[in-house]
Amino acid sequence: MNWRLAALCIGGVALLAVLVIVAGVSPLEAAKSLFSGTLGTPSNIAGTLRETTPLLIAGIAVFVALRAGLFNIGVEGQFLVGAMASAVIGLRFPGPGGVVLAILGGMGAGALWALPAGLIKAYRNGHEVITTIMLNTVADRFTSAMVSGPIKAPGGNTSTLPLTPSTSIPSITIAGVEISTALFFGVLATLGLAWWLRHMVSGYELEATGANRTAAKYAGIETRRVTVQAMVISGAIAGLAGSVQVLAFEHRFYAGFSPGYGFDALGVALLAASQAVALVPAALLFGVLAKGATVLQIDGIPKGITTVVLGVLILVAAAIRYRRAKAIA
Amino acid sequence: MLELTISRAAPLVLAAMGGYTSERSGVINIALEGKMLSAACAAAVLTPRFGPWGGLAGGILVAVVLSILHWLATQHYRIDHVVSGMAINALAIGGTNFANAKFADAGRSAQAAHLPLIMFYAIALIAPIGVWAHAKYTRGGLRMVAVGSDPDKSRLVGLQPVFIRLKGQVATGVFTGLAGVLLFTETGVFSDNMTAGQGYIALAALILSGWRPMWALVAGLTFGFFSALQLKLQGTDFFGSSIPSEAWSALPHIVTIIALAGFAGRNRTPSGLGKP
Repeated sequence: MNWRLAALCIGGVALLAVLVIVAGVSPLEAAKSLFSGTLGTPSNIAGTLRETTPLLIAGIAVFVALRAGLFNIGVEGQFLVGAMASAVIGLRFPGPGGVVLAILGGMGAGALWALPAGLIKAYRNGHEVITTIMLNTVADRFTSAMVSGPIKAPGGNTSTLPLTPSTSIPSITIAGVEISTALFFGVLATLGLAWWLRHMVSGYELEATGANRTAAKYAGIETRRVTVQAMVISGAIAGLAGSVQVLAFEHRFYAGFSPGYGFDALGVALLAASQAVALVPAALLFGVLAKGATVLQIDGIPKGITTVVLGVLILVAAAIRYRRAKAIA
Repeated sequence: MLELTISRAAPLVLAAMGGYTSERSGVINIALEGKMLSAACAAAVLTPRFGPWGGLAGGILVAVVLSILHWLATQHYRIDHVVSGMAINALAIGGTNFANAKFADAGRSAQAAHLPLIMFYAIALIAPIGVWAHAKYTRGGLRMVAVGSDPDKSRLVGLQPVFIRLKGQVATGVFTGLAGVLLFTETGVFSDNMTAGQGYIALAALILSGWRPMWALVAGLTFGFFSALQLKLQGTDFFGSSIPSEAWSALPHIVTIIALAGFAGRNRTPSGLGKP
């Protein structure tokens, strides 16, 4: 721990404490109500885990791209088109078979939405951050035009019809805590991802490309193909996160569907740094923050404070990562 | 229509100039959005209390502080420029939500005296010329471009990229601050996420221009024109069917993607962009 890193951490914590005090709440009080509101009772734990689920899956999406050296800021847009595709397919084909189709459709839509960014990065060297940010806005406009037009349910709300109860991902109850099975799939996917990156040729190629593009190229890896592949996989997983959000929790698609999961997922992946397994605790932390935002709002602390926490976390995590990399070198 | 175009283009051009001084000195800046948002919020909070000039000064100050934070993160902590930019955007979105809920008063800020909009428009139209001349004919400007193009060689001839970039970042803060205060002045109130992606559009204008100020002005005006056109044509029928307003607002973004896909000519990216 050197002084600069320490200064950054202290500065971050001090900023948050000042914000809480400015809001007229004692920091200790705020911490206490944050804890009880997110992890205090079974129903609060369930709420936290519900927020954790899309964050974990979207976090995996950002993480895969990050390992290939790509910043997929576009998870937000891929999440939206994936969610919308799932809702449309789920309405068309109700029942458990429809769930499978809806998930595949959501992943396909997400992958398709990420494809231009991957191609432009690989073949035109256009920065993926710019293209994915642009694609996010296009996705936002596209889905909101669709949901206020062609796929709108009759009535006043800009929303699709609700899916039938059989067209959903089931949840189970453990010790009074309701957990969607999607969360378990998310955890399994994390483990699978860690194994893939470590033990399979294609995973290794992805990591090598991310670590040093030029070296990977000279080692005979087709870095362009790997780049497109990583972006498409990332998009598919982001689309899956959207599918899960529709099929497990919301049961319909509506305007303003994502409260910024794509953005938070970036924080999850950056916090997990290079360890896929670390995605699970990182997603849980952001789940606590997301659930905590609503709790703190009741105490009179504006919900923006959790986004400030996100910013501070990203800076500190990035600074730590750099220091570690330098120590090894 | 001309007036509407300029009013839509001015914040884009100002922010793009901010992006220019940052990226030409080698610092990737996707935090234009966050700085504009913070400046708008600061102006909304301060204008009723300290008058329009106080609001302007406060807005610029906040944007400069965020720029210096970006400079510290990228130059001292060597954090990836994009990561730092995202973090600053997060700080801005959260911080302005917080400050707006706690300190802003929409009724008072709407009634407070405001600076004339024409002042901002004039600055937006003149600034690209000044920035262009500065980069082309002054020692400081040439050094800025040199540092952004090849930081290693610049070091060899005795320049200090870190400090030249600090100047660039302060200029970024001033320009994005102006852009943000302009957004506030136009509406008189602050609302959450009121920049609505304009910082990113400004960045896109800069990239499409090939990091050249005068072309950035043209790109900004073009985006402004389409944005004004969208407002004019909303609800108008084309060939019997109305085009949703979302299609118009998505247009500049689609144009940017197509341009990045390689229809915009050769690569003019500053070659030292993002390097230490």
